[in-house]
Formats: sequence, structure tokens, C-alpha cells
Amino acid sequence: MHEFLAQLFNGIALGGIYALIALGYTMVYGIIGLINFAHGDVYTLGSFFALTILTALGVSGELHGVALVVDVAIALIGAALLCGIVGVLIERLAYRRLRNAPRLAPLITAIGISFILENVMQIWKGPAPVPFPAVVPNPSVMIAGVAVGAQQFLLVGLAVVMMVALQLFIHNTRLGRAMRATAEDRDAAQLMGININKTIMLTFLIGSALAGVAGFVSGVYYQSTWFFNGFGAGLKAFTAAVLGGIGNIAGAMLGGFLIGIIESFATWKFGGQWSNVTVFAILILVLVFRPSGLLGEAVYERA
Amino acid sequence: MRISAALAIVLLSACSGANNASTSKNTTTTTTTAVTAAPSPAPPGQVVKIGIDLPLSGGDASVGISTEQGALLAIDQAQKNMPRGYTLQGEGLDDSVQGVHNPEQGVSNVRSFISDAAVLAVVGPYNSNVARAEIPVTNAAGLAQIGPSVVADNLTIGPEAAQLRRTNPSWNTFFRVCTTDSRQGAALAQFARSLGFKRAYIIDDNETYGLDLADRFEKDFTNDGGTVLARDHLAKNTQDFKSLLLKVLAAKPDVVFFGGVTSTGGGLLRKQMFSVGLGKTAYMGGDGLADLATVAAAQADGSYYTLAAPNAMKLSAAQAFVKAYRAKYNADIGPYSANAYAAAQVAASAVVRAIRSGHGTVPSRTAVVANVASTKLETPIGPISFDKYGDVTNPVLSLYGFKNGQSYFIRQIQLKL
Repeated sequence: MHEFLAQLFNGIALGGIYALIALGYTMVYGIIGLINFAHGDVYTLGSFFALTILTALGVSGELHGVALVVDVAIALIGAALLCGIVGVLIERLAYRRLRNAPRLAPLITAIGISFILENVMQIWKGPAPVPFPAVVPNPSVMIAGVAVGAQQFLLVGLAVVMMVALQLFIHNTRLGRAMRATAEDRDAAQLMGININKTIMLTFLIGSALAGVAGFVSGVYYQSTWFFNGFGAGLKAFTAAVLGGIGNIAGAMLGGFLIGIIESFATWKFGGQWSNVTVFAILILVLVFRPSGLLGEAVYERA
Repeated sequence: MRISAALAIVLLSACSGANNASTSKNTTTTTTTAVTAAPSPAPPGQVVKIGIDLPLSGGDASVGISTEQGALLAIDQAQKNMPRGYTLQGEGLDDSVQGVHNPEQGVSNVRSFISDAAVLAVVGPYNSNVARAEIPVTNAAGLAQIGPSVVADNLTIGPEAAQLRRTNPSWNTFFRVCTTDSRQGAALAQFARSLGFKRAYIIDDNETYGLDLADRFEKDFTNDGGTVLARDHLAKNTQDFKSLLLKVLAAKPDVVFFGGVTSTGGGLLRKQMFSVGLGKTAYMGGDGLADLATVAAAQADGSYYTLAAPNAMKLSAAQAFVKAYRAKYNADIGPYSANAYAAAQVAASAVVRAIRSGHGTVPSRTAVVANVASTKLETPIGPISFDKYGDVTNPVLSLYGFKNGQSYFIRQIQLKL
């Protein structure tokens, strides 16, 4: 029971990261029907930006008090903002002109952008994993005999807050309404006077900023980052988005946590080498038997 | 070596090199017969050569050149042992192309050695993938080749090695004075038991280097009375090893052994050991963990790794060599200078013995191969003799640990085989 809970908590934390990345996948898919394969690399980019900001602030270890709040806020918001800008640039450069091209074309440019980002990051910080300062203290509390660290709470809390905020934004603001309208029928939305380009830009801005948040959080949680992290994490987050029902915000969150827990349990029960196999076997099963995902039928909720 | 870990990736290029072996066969056999057909007493001033193939430019140059200098020093010093009328020369060729060691260039260098009838043995190459391309060529030509630093297991042992010797499967022309990757596993098992560790948890990265290493550790640790709690493999492209490490934590090991390199998970694994509460547990692996501190920094403390060669600077037998090297080149020895010195000593001594047993006639290359195989020689890195695969029978490795995020030398390990 003890080990079961330990693995469960670990899986939920891991799932929090997947969920944050999956939100971006699902938003972009919901609005333009594109699987943005560069999204995982934007996530890695987020941790690189955060690392650079922290280094510039002179942070190399654990922070406390005011410095903790201020520096973490600067790094978190900075990484999110920069990632958002990168996301908007990617959309402008690689996807916008292909919006009416066959669906395969933007998919290929997405993969191209992914390679470009990976290689740029490799040149930037080198081919080896890079240490990331453990800025957030990690005192642990005991839950049913299992130590759960403060970072784990922070991670999961952040993911849930982000999702709720996103839901509220989409359902209660003018811009959110514009996004929903664009998702439902782009042409009709345009005829009603909605600026499609601006709306899609906004989607990329928010989705990529969430990836930036995930990048920062994973840097703190694992105390390291690596230019190639986004490849594996991106694929799993994509699986999470599909599992939850791609295009569905709550589904992405649910899928993220489920994939994290499944991966953790697969490692525990079948061994580390089977964790990826299990996750991607689930992707195949979902695609074959329930292509709309767990929460996928609620089409009107597409963002 | 990182080099050997990178081997799998370079296999493709190595294969293309191996394919060339069949084309070289015609030219090489004629050369061999030309040499065997000339067992006449040496005329005064007969020159015999030892070819040296190493990466001498680009990124590998710093180690390549200090390695070559070790070999050249041995050839210089061997001059005084040459039978009357003979001059021994070393001839070095660079196998780097555009700054990177290149299997095709290595093959081309070896071919030019083969076409020079005065070359009786070759020292080199430095890299395992170059060796994989060259061995079929030297095997076809019957030219002895002695590697100073190539550590991949499958160059000498197993079906892949047999494939490299396919032209003349009945004999072996490739020898090495260093030990092999997997023997690091044996040395680490020996060390772990000497520290009193009874319970080991073994993890590997599912790649050739890591699997060989972990297999060997598992076997030797168990034979030596230790208990292997479990064996696990890392998934590729993953950054979360915490669920795996929670399993490890529950098993309560004395030591976590990792077969792999820092970049395939070795670094992150050590870091994450601290976050699940395994920070005080010892961590060990092969030379793939030599750069552990670049990822784990101070958390590398409490970790150990081996290099598949002795630390020559610390060997008493090597002090004369270290001094002579400094006198000649005005520099300290490089990481593989002593190995190259030993390799060239083996080659030179085999040439001398082949000349003697032929009563002063220029020996055939095959006679030199036979004499290399029967080598019994004291060298700076210890006494050298070879088993039937061409591997040394008394491997000495060096053991290192980490303190304050820096690696330090612990001791040499003489492997009981």
C-alpha cells in the first residue's frame, strides 16, 4: 500500500507536467485542427528561458522569503511570455500561410520547426543535460506514510489553476467567445467580424505560454533540463490530449494525469523499459476504439 | 569511453568500411606472398616499419598526438634491440577527416601500410568504430594490428568479432593492450564487494555498452557472494526516473549500479536518487560516468567509476617511461600514451623475435602475427600477454570516485580472470 501511494503521488506530479503541455496541444488542435508537433520543444525552450533568467538574476540555489516569490515569479512569467512569443512567431512563420493548404503541409512544417528548435537548443546549451537550480524549497509532508514534497503540490496546483483559469477565460470573456466561434466555424466567425488571425495568434500565445510554465516547473522539479526533453514529453502529452479527447480542455488535464499515473505504475509493475510501450499502446487503443477520447463527445466545448 | 558508447550510432559507417575489405583482398594477398617469398638474409641497412594509425587532427588531436608520441618513443627505444643490419622506423598516418576520426580514412591508411612491404605491424587505431572497419582488412592481409585504446567488447569476442575475421576466420590479427568495456563491470563488482556491499540494484540504459557492462557486473557480483535485488532498464527519451527509483528505494540496496553513460540517464538518475531519499546510497558505473559531475555536480559525491586502463602516472612500473616521455617531448603523458608505448613495444618485440627465429632474414607478416600472439612482455602498464581472442590476460583498470563534485583517483584494480 505504501509503495502504491508513493507511485500514485509520483504519477500525479509527472501527470501535472504532461497536463500543462497537453493543454497547448489541445487548444491549437481545437482551433485550427493542427497537431503542433513543435509544442514539446517549446516546453523545453521554457525551461531554457527560465534557466537563463534565473542565471541572470544570480540565482544558483534554494530561495526563501521575498526573493523566492519575486525571483520565481520573474522566471515563471518571463519563461511563459518568451515561449508565448516564440509560439506566435512559429504560427506566423510556419503555419499561417499554410492554413488553407492540405493538412499534411502544416504537419510537415511543424516537424521541421521541431527539429530547428531542438538543434538551436543543442547549440545554445550543449548536447548534455544542463543542471537547473532547485529554487523552490522542498519540505515534505507525510500523507498516509508517504512523503510528498512541496514541489509536487506546487506542480499539481499550478496545473489545475491554469486549467480552471483557461476554462473561465474561454467561457466568460469576449476573446474566449471569439476563440470558440473560430473553432466552431472559421468562415462564419470571420463573417461576423471576428479577426481570425488575431484569435489564432492568441491561441498560440496562451498554449505556448502554458508550455513555458511547464518547462519552468519541470526544471525545478527535476533540477535539470536537456535540449531533447521535449521530444519524449511532447509525444506523451500528445497521447494525453488524445486520451482525454483532443480539442477538450478538461480532457487534456484528465488525460495528462492519467498518463502520468499509468507511466508511473507501468515502471513499477513492468519495469522501466515498458513505461513508454504501455503509454503508446494506450494511444493506439484509444485511437482505434474511442478516437474521440474520454471526454471527446462534448464538441461544443472545443476551444 | 564515450567513443565506444557512440559506437552503435557509427555502425553504419563502419559497415561500409568493412565492405571494402573484399576489394582489398586481391591487392593484399599479392603483397603478402611478395613478402613471404623474400626470406633472404637482410642486406645491410634493411628498414622495417611499424605503422601507426591514429586521429592526429581535429577534435581527437590532443589525445591522438600524445598517443602517437608514446608509440614513437617505444620504437625509438627498441632500436637498440634490433638485430644487426636492421633499422626500425615508425610511420604515422592520420585517420581524421575534417576533424573527426573516420573509418574509411582508417581503412585507406591501413591499405597504404599493407602496400608497403616494409611495414610488419600496425599500432592503432584509437577509436572502436575505426577498428571495426580496419580489422577485416588487416585480417585479410595477415598484418598484426595492436590497439592501444579500443575498448568495445565485440571487436574481439562474440559473433560480431567473428564476422570481422571472416576472410581468415582461423586466426586472429587484432590485439589490444587495453581491456574491454565489460571487464569494467567485473572490476566494479570486485570493488563493490571489497566495500562490503551485499545488495545491488542494477539499472542499464538498454544500449550495447550499458547492457554488456551491467551483465558483467551482475554475473561477477553474484558469483562473489553479493545479491542482485533486481535488474531494470531505462526507457529512452524520459526525464522522470522517480517511479523507478521508488522501486529501488523499497528494495533497500547498498549500491545502485548503472550500465550506461551520463547522457543516456546516468546523470539524471543520480540526481533523482536524492529526491526520492536515496542520496546516501552508493552509485557506480563504468567510464561512461566519468563526466557525471557535469550533470549531477556535488550530488555526484558517493559515486564511483572505472577507466578501462591503468592510471599510468601512478604506476611504479611506468615511472621510467613517464620520465623518458617528458625528456623527449617536454610534456606529461596523455591518457593513452602509456598504452601506445606498450602496444609499440609488443609490436617491436614481435618483429625482433620473428627476425631472430628466421636467423636474420626479413620475417613474413604472418610470422610477426604469431610472435605477437605469443607475447610475454613487461611494459609500463604491467606484464602483457594475450588470450586467443587477442585480449590481455591480466587487465589492470583504474578506479575513481567523486568528492565535492570533482573526480579523484582511488586505486588500480588488477582483475582476477
